[in-house]
Amino acid sequence: MMSIITDTTQIEPSRELRDTCAIVGTATSRLGKVPGVSSLDLLVEAIRNALDDAGLQASDVDGVLCRGPDESYSHHQLVAERLGINARFSTTLTNGGASQIMSVALAVMAIRFGLAKTIVCGFGRDTWSRTHASEEARVKNETRPEAMRAREFGPEYGYFGATAAHAFGATRHMHLYGTTRDQFGEIAVAFREHALRNPDAQMKKTLSIEDYHAARMIVSPFGMFDCSLRSDAAGAVIVTSAARARDMKQPAVLIKGFGTHNNTRGWFADDNMVVTAAKLSGEAAYRMAGLGPRDVDTAQIYDCFTYMVLTQLEDYGFCKKGEGGAFVSSGALRLGGALPCNTSGGQLSEAHCEGMLQIVEGVRQLRHTYPVERQVKDAEIALISGHGGNQVCHSTLILGRAS
Amino acid sequence: MSDMIPRPKPRPGPESLPYWQAAREHRLALPKCDRCEKFWFPPSASCPHCLSAKFTFCDVSGRGKVFSHVTFNRVYRASFSERVPYVVALIELEEGPRLLTNIVGISPEEVRCDMPVEVVFEDIDAEASIPQFRPRGSC
Repeated sequence: MMSIITDTTQIEPSRELRDTCAIVGTATSRLGKVPGVSSLDLLVEAIRNALDDAGLQASDVDGVLCRGPDESYSHHQLVAERLGINARFSTTLTNGGASQIMSVALAVMAIRFGLAKTIVCGFGRDTWSRTHASEEARVKNETRPEAMRAREFGPEYGYFGATAAHAFGATRHMHLYGTTRDQFGEIAVAFREHALRNPDAQMKKTLSIEDYHAARMIVSPFGMFDCSLRSDAAGAVIVTSAARARDMKQPAVLIKGFGTHNNTRGWFADDNMVVTAAKLSGEAAYRMAGLGPRDVDTAQIYDCFTYMVLTQLEDYGFCKKGEGGAFVSSGALRLGGALPCNTSGGQLSEAHCEGMLQIVEGVRQLRHTYPVERQVKDAEIALISGHGGNQVCHSTLILGRAS
Repeated sequence: MSDMIPRPKPRPGPESLPYWQAAREHRLALPKCDRCEKFWFPPSASCPHCLSAKFTFCDVSGRGKVFSHVTFNRVYRASFSERVPYVVALIELEEGPRLLTNIVGISPEEVRCDMPVEVVFEDIDAEASIPQFRPRGSC
C-alpha cells in the first residue's frame, strides 16, 4: 500500500536557512520526581538555567515558543510573564512531541526574517506528580483532560492510551519483517546503560535483557520496559542568529536543517504505523542541511516506546526498512557503537519531556564538554527527532558543531 | 459474565448515530459516497475521498482481515478488569475502511495479522450493541 502524499511535487526547503541560526544556551530543570512544582515552574526553571548557560538575561530574549500542558491556554504568555518580558514573537504549539523541534524551526524562520532576535524554546511537564503525587492521582491515573478523550470507536472495546496505538505498529512490523522483542529489548537496555552514566537520569538501576523479558506485559507486544517514563521534567534552548552567536559564552551549535511531516490521514491509515512521517520529515531536513544519514554522528530519537526508535532509524535511512532489528542488535546504538543514540538515556531511562531533552542532549554532545564516558567521540553532526500529535506528526532537527 | 462491570457504551455524535443505530439491529453500515461510491470510516459529514457531502449509510459484507492487533494485559478501566487479557484489533474490511474492534472466539496468542475475520455483534444492554470480529468460518 502506498503512502498518500497530497502534493507529490518535491519541495525544496530553503537552504538559505541553513547555518543562519544557532543554539547558544541549553539546560534542563530538575528531572524525574519533582513533587510540588507545576509544569510551568519547571519550564521557567529550565529557561533560567539555559539563560545562565548562555550568559544572557531574560531581558535579552524577545521571543517565546513553547508547548503547554493540554489544558493550558496561550501557555507562552504565562511563561513570558514569569520571565518578566514582553515578546516580539511568541506562540504555543500543539503538535505533542513534535512541537519542540517545530518551536526551534519556527524560531529560525522568525529570526532569519527579522521578527525577533533571540528566542527561547522549551517544554515542561509534571506527569510523574500528576499520576503519583497523591492517592487521588494514583487512582485517577489520567493526564489528559476529558475533552481530549475518545467518546466512541475505542473505549467500548477497551482501547485506551498511547501504548496500544504504538503497539499496533510494533505488531505489524514484527509480522512484516520478523522483528523480535529481543531487538526491542536491546533498545531499552542500551538506553538504560546510557542513563547510568547520567547523574540526572530518573532511572538508576541496571537493566539486563533478562530483566526486560521478565517484566510484566502492559499491552502486548509491549512490556513495562518498552514504555517511556512518567516524569516531571523541563528543558529549554535559546536560539539566536549565527552572527550573534559568535561572541557568546558557549561554543555555538548551528542549526543546519529541519523538516516536518504529518501523516494526517492517521496512524491507522495506509502504512503509516510502519513507515512513519519521520521519513519525509527527515528527507526535508537532510535536504536543507545538505547532508545524509551517513553524515550523522549521533541520533537523539523520540523514544516514547522502543519500537518507535527502531522504525524511525529505518525511516531516517540509517538502515533499510525492515532491517532495524538487525541494526539495533549489532550494538550500533550504544556509546562507542556505529550510531550512538539517546546518549543521556532517552525518554525510556533519563526522563520523558516529549522530545525536549533530545534537543538538549544533541546540543551538549556537539559542545564536546562531556566526560569521556558520555561523549560521542568527535561528534560533528546530530540528528534529533520529534514525534507526536496522535502518532503521526514528525519533526526533525539537524545540528552541527560550528567550525 | 453477568457479574462483570459493563463495558462503557459508545457516546455517538450526530455523524455516527446511524452507524450505532444499525449496529443495534446487528448490521454493519458505513457511510458510502453517492458521488465516488467509496466507503469511509469513521463517519463524518463529507467524503474524505472526494469531499462530497452526499452519502448514504450502506451495509457492508462484515468480512475483512486483521491489519494489526494488540493484547491488553494491563487494566486501564475497571470495566475491563475481568476481561484481561483481551485483544484489540484493527480490521481492514473488504470494502476498504479500517476499524477498531475486539477479536473474540480465539485465544489472544492465536491472533495473527492478515487473518480473515467476520463481524459478530455483542449486546451491551437493551440499547447498545457493538460490532466484534471472530475468525471467519468459526462459530
